[in-house]
Amino acid sequence: MIGFLQNLADALSLGSLYALAALGVGLLFGILRLVNFAHGDFISIGAYALIVPSFEVTAQLFIGTWNWALMIPTVTLIVVIFALISDALVFRPLRRANAPTLMIASFAVSYVIQNGILMVYGARPKAANLWSGLANPIMLGDLRIPMLQLVTIGVTLALMAALTLFLKRTPYGVMMRAAAEDFRMAQYLGVRGNFVIGLAFAISGILATAVSLLYLSQTGTLGPQMGVPLALFAFVATVIGGMGSLLGAVVGGFLVGFVVIMLQAYLPEDLRVFRDAFAFAFVILILLFRPSGIVPTRALIERV
Amino acid sequence: MLAIEDIHVSYGRLRALKGISLTVAKGEIVCLIGPNGAGKSTTLAAIAGGVAASKGHIKLEGQDLAGVRPETIARMGVSLVPEGRHVFGTLSVAENLRVGTYMRADRSAVAADIERVLAMFPRLRERITSPAGRLSGGEQQMLVIARALLTKPRLLLVDEPSLGLAPKIVDQVYEILLAARQQEGLTLLINEQSSHRILKHADRIYVIRNGHIQLEGKAADLADGEAIKRAYFGFGEAASGDANEEEDAA
Repeated sequence: MIGFLQNLADALSLGSLYALAALGVGLLFGILRLVNFAHGDFISIGAYALIVPSFEVTAQLFIGTWNWALMIPTVTLIVVIFALISDALVFRPLRRANAPTLMIASFAVSYVIQNGILMVYGARPKAANLWSGLANPIMLGDLRIPMLQLVTIGVTLALMAALTLFLKRTPYGVMMRAAAEDFRMAQYLGVRGNFVIGLAFAISGILATAVSLLYLSQTGTLGPQMGVPLALFAFVATVIGGMGSLLGAVVGGFLVGFVVIMLQAYLPEDLRVFRDAFAFAFVILILLFRPSGIVPTRALIERV
Repeated sequence: MLAIEDIHVSYGRLRALKGISLTVAKGEIVCLIGPNGAGKSTTLAAIAGGVAASKGHIKLEGQDLAGVRPETIARMGVSLVPEGRHVFGTLSVAENLRVGTYMRADRSAVAADIERVLAMFPRLRERITSPAGRLSGGEQQMLVIARALLTKPRLLLVDEPSLGLAPKIVDQVYEILLAARQQEGLTLLINEQSSHRILKHADRIYVIRNGHIQLEGKAADLADGEAIKRAYFGFGEAASGDANEEEDAA
């Protein structure tokens, strides 16, 4: 029982990261019909922004040494600026392009960012110690839960609550939801298209930053492609959750985290190396039974 | 207020508008009548900035609208109610109504205006918290018109307000459009497929078919409906006295 609860805590914490990343992907998909594979690289940027540019194996924290109250806004700002630049340079000229073109453009953005990181920081993975104090466990009865896992889950819930409040209660949130549903109609009602899209990129950048910081403090390593698996699982999460549904993205994220951790824990040892294959088989199963995801939306159909 | 001069619009190789010219004066109710696929919706979308004209000019109070974004045209006081009831289905009725008010400068007047619109459409007040996607077709049509009125337009473009609605609801919709025109000095450009109802309300009528204006005239002069019928169905043009027939340039 304790073992299961321990695994459950791991699953919630990993699922949180996937859910946050999936929200970032899902938000842009909702507004722009963009499947943004560069989202993982926004996450990488957030991590690399913390360290001194160099080819050293042990990363020297730069912004990462600052007090968190200053560090978090600074890193967030850097990632948001990169997200807005990629919109302005790449996606804005492609506003009238179809969804596959946008997706391929996002691959290009992804490669440019990865190679930019290679040029500035080198190809080797780096070790970095962010918030090492959070590794200390908290005892809940017999259950040992690392502080970091609680922080991860807490931050995720707080960000989700904030995003929900933003979308439901503020004029800009209502405009974003309207634009996600019927972009042209929203424009006919005076909603500025480029502004709403920029807002979506900015929020997506904020969510990516949260993932960068939490992921880096969990793993302690940086690599030029560190964000890629996160983006891949986030993408999978949005698909099984139901493309275009933010609730679906969150549900999908937690589900993927849960499946991965439980496979890791309970698969026979010989099969554990194939964990991801089993995870993706599970994804295929879900899609066979629910082709439009767990929380289907009509957004895709309505756009036609 | 609005002057369209010889606009051409194509969707790929399909030429939807082949030189449309029309004018709408301030305070007028002008109606475009024509069969399905004649180019009525494209004309309204071109005015609202939703599709670009490859040739010709659209001028709103003298200002050329070429290349102006739809949201900017909306902010200039033109509101389009497109065909097919484009409600935001997952947003509540109240949220739908508010979307168009965020661009307004007179934010303090918004609450009172929403109150006024809800008084015109009591059904919407009853459903105010429901997702708009759950409303009936008639309620959705009321919602999109109420939403457009709340943008405080000077020129309201309405695409087929009666499509798919029960006659009683259509009457109600027209009553409200006419009342809004009375109270707010609204100018209206309305598309319809059939003429008999609109003839009572419109000041002037254009019959559009196959991307061309086939006939234009005062509603009072066309009241017997014969000239309209001929222009609409495209036969006996020679017999119609004031038909503004254009040669098919294609």
